Amino acid sequence: MRGLRAWLLRLVGSFRKERDDREFADEMESHLQMHIDDNLRSGMSALEARRRALLKLGGIEPTKEIYRERRGLPMLETVLQDLRYAVRTLRKNPGFTIIAVLTLALGIGANTAIFSMVNALLLHPYNFPDLDRLVRVWENRGIDEGADARLIAPQDAADLLSGAAVFDALTTYKCGDLNLSAEGNVQPALGCQVSANFFDVLGVGPALGRAFNASEEQPGADQVAVVSYGLWQRRFAGDAALLGKVIQINGKKYTVVGIMPRGFDYPVPMELWVPLGLSPAEKTDRAKLSLESLGRLKLGISVAQARSAADSVSRRLQQEYPTTNANRRSEVLQLRRELYLYTLPLFLLLQTAAVFVLLLACANLANLLFARIFGRQREIAVRTALGAGRWRLARLFVTETLLLACIAGGVAVAGSFWSVKVLRTSIAPSWTMWVPGWDGIQVDRTVLAFTVLLIAIVGLLFGLGTVLHSGQALPYAALKEAGRGPMLGSKCRLRSALVVAQVMFALVLLVCAGLTTQAFLHLVDVYQGFQAASVLRTEIRLPEKSYPENSQIASFYDRVLRGSASLPGVSAAALVTNSPASNVDNETTFFTISGRPAVNASEVPSADLQISSPNYFSVLRIPLVAGRAYSYADNANAARVAVISRSMAVRYWPKGDELGQQIKLGPANSKEPWMTVVGVVEDVRQNWWNPTSRPTIYEPFFQTPQRSMVFLMRVASNPAGYASGIREVVRGIDDQIGLTGVGTLEREITDSIAIIRIMGVLMALFGCVALALSSVGVYGVLAEGVARRIPEIGVRLALGAEPRDVMKLVLGQAVKLTGIGLAIGVPIALAVNRAMSSLIFGIVSINLLLLAGFTLLLLVVALAAAYLPARRAMRVDPLVALRHE
Amino acid sequence: MAQKKDVWQGTLAVMVLKTLDTLGPLHGYGIARRIEQTSGDLLAVNYGTLYPALLKLEQEGYISSEWGVSDNNRKAKYYKLTRAGKKQLEREAREWEQTTNILARFLSPGEEPS
Repeated sequence: MRGLRAWLLRLVGSFRKERDDREFADEMESHLQMHIDDNLRSGMSALEARRRALLKLGGIEPTKEIYRERRGLPMLETVLQDLRYAVRTLRKNPGFTIIAVLTLALGIGANTAIFSMVNALLLHPYNFPDLDRLVRVWENRGIDEGADARLIAPQDAADLLSGAAVFDALTTYKCGDLNLSAEGNVQPALGCQVSANFFDVLGVGPALGRAFNASEEQPGADQVAVVSYGLWQRRFAGDAALLGKVIQINGKKYTVVGIMPRGFDYPVPMELWVPLGLSPAEKTDRAKLSLESLGRLKLGISVAQARSAADSVSRRLQQEYPTTNANRRSEVLQLRRELYLYTLPLFLLLQTAAVFVLLLACANLANLLFARIFGRQREIAVRTALGAGRWRLARLFVTETLLLACIAGGVAVAGSFWSVKVLRTSIAPSWTMWVPGWDGIQVDRTVLAFTVLLIAIVGLLFGLGTVLHSGQALPYAALKEAGRGPMLGSKCRLRSALVVAQVMFALVLLVCAGLTTQAFLHLVDVYQGFQAASVLRTEIRLPEKSYPENSQIASFYDRVLRGSASLPGVSAAALVTNSPASNVDNETTFFTISGRPAVNASEVPSADLQISSPNYFSVLRIPLVAGRAYSYADNANAARVAVISRSMAVRYWPKGDELGQQIKLGPANSKEPWMTVVGVVEDVRQNWWNPTSRPTIYEPFFQTPQRSMVFLMRVASNPAGYASGIREVVRGIDDQIGLTGVGTLEREITDSIAIIRIMGVLMALFGCVALALSSVGVYGVLAEGVARRIPEIGVRLALGAEPRDVMKLVLGQAVKLTGIGLAIGVPIALAVNRAMSSLIFGIVSINLLLLAGFTLLLLVVALAAAYLPARRAMRVDPLVALRHE
Repeated sequence: MAQKKDVWQGTLAVMVLKTLDTLGPLHGYGIARRIEQTSGDLLAVNYGTLYPALLKLEQEGYISSEWGVSDNNRKAKYYKLTRAGKKQLEREAREWEQTTNILARFLSPGEEPS
């Protein structure tokens, strides 16, 4: 305690030097006077009294020095002194400081912004306690189900929980739009039916009211609801008395029992939860994968352990229930990693690019710093000659670079608050609301800690680099030469190496930028096989309660189609289960070809299934390749027919005899009806991440009506203007049905690839920064070299060299530096090129033209940067140059 | 060397505390004179060590200082023992007594057990 008190006082003492100095001088003076007084009293002469007293007191200055050291903290004082010195040096060279700070701030800021996305989307997408123990559990039937269909059969889920012994709890749920009507108006709400333990498994309880209890899982007792904070605020105006009130969902009365805390929307972006009331038969169903599932792992159980435990349960079920569970395997994936398939490659790429930008900035700054050290050699030499140790000098440099890094970091953080907000709002909320963690993209504590770490690393690294670099300065030589003459060989090499590295980084970044931009431009064309212009789309969902029968569904949609087709300007209207560019994979199904039964279950072929109304192909202008498209005549009473995609025809009927063949959904023993293939249409690329179109079966809607459909309408022009028209039509048929996602198909496509667009913009930005930084780097080194070689150039000119030769000399160096950088960069860029094509889902292929173009561009920029120094070298006046010697 | 200085500084602190305990508030010069006198002029107080020692004691809270006026009307900084200082003095005195006792036993002839 005493030690701490003393230390604190010394800390304070460090900052009030002058006052304390004066006080101590007074004290010494009074001491001296009292001594003289005593001496006088003992009979000495005035002179003798003073002499004796001074003698006794000893050296006043050394005493003051010891006193001073005790008073403050000498270590801190040198640090402060270094800091003051650093501030002074930086202020003295505003040009250098501004460039250095901006360069570094750019590098650090890019990393902070990208990391804020990585942090929110990859590291903390959800706010649940013990997030790493939450896992998604689903079943795979041995076909490519697509990442959206992660479903499990109810009884299998129960068996997994009891058989695998790795889960604390397992909850199941089922999501879909619910039509919520409150105070007379109907609006769709996103909602889920969830098991009673749903909120317990997630570890988040309602902010108001209660969650569900087990008795509410019984059909009949399940008419209770929990609403999200957002829904409560938006639809019920934050009404505190909502708890206990009755709301209507899909025409049924539900009592609100709980309101979730702000920000809870699992699975995103749900806003309404009701109990999953399964009948006993539904509960024990094993045939249909119908539920989503989420488990909380027991403490200490790893995902790998859970996976193998679930796997052994699955294998047991395969043997016990071969009819339903053949080939069925269970999958376990950390909830946090659920979207990694899409997000990891994108953000890894962006973060890598950001790190590259920082490295480039660092290389530039290193060049500036080394140039400055060269200019400061005389100062260093004087300091060394006056007795400054290596350590003391090192501290001086490290303080300076750390200060630089801190200022740059400050600028970067200030800027990132803005840039992160721009990033967050750059994609339409109707899309980002489906991305867990997107709203959490912000500069929070983790991001700040990351930035501080970055600043510390950069500052220290540069400080130490500078120290090592300056260590070569020989005081005597430097004092004598005072910064003239050619650079020492090793230094020149180091700085040249930095420029080479810059050129290399720039090339790699530019290639990345080019590829992403190209990918984006290409993406718009990626949705081949249909025409999106002049098409309006919307989603319609019919509640099961009011539309239990297929005939009712068919007649509702029939009236919608007829009603909309009669709107002026509408050329055709159609329905489909999943419109292209929806960012949702198609449903996948097994199918059997008549006369070709699969020998064993693993060989049953699979295809995407789309159900569409007659005019679908003409609305989207999907070309018919062979046969006919189905018509209104292909209805419930007619023979079952199907249209297949070209890739399916090619794959299963390579001889071209597909028309007239019989197929049915499911394996050979399924009860599904046989359908006749009547037509073949061109392939349609469903989503940007599917590298190729998958075989697709189209079934006529009026033979298998579905409640949830996407409605598409082709109009003469300005499709957005028809939104109210279609709303009117639907309201005229049933005023309890709301529409969601009304908009043009073109808009849907641009929105669906917004993330790639942002990536393209960011990468292009990074690429431009890289180009600018590297050209500044080339310019800096050459200008420096020319300035240093003026005497030499003078001699050359005096000895008869032509100005042209001098210019060649300088430009030659530029070409050499850039050439080496490019030579190293090209193979790296090629490797990156290859890695990227696989990373971003095969959208872009290796592009040699792009590579050649950027190589040339860098060379030209380097030559342009070399032009100024070269001109200066050419204009050296030999007389002036030699006089300096 | 360093060892000796430490011991000296440690003893100087005790001497300062004891002096202030006996004489009450006193200035630096007075403390120095008193120590020299008490030691029978065997010790010469080095001011280069006295004032830093006073500062250290003050930072540790054992003494406090205040500007005042000396007997012959000179401005001087007076040091005063605090309560913590008094306790510290007792502790130090006890320790010294123990140390000297032990040393005395070692150094007195004939009492070594054979």
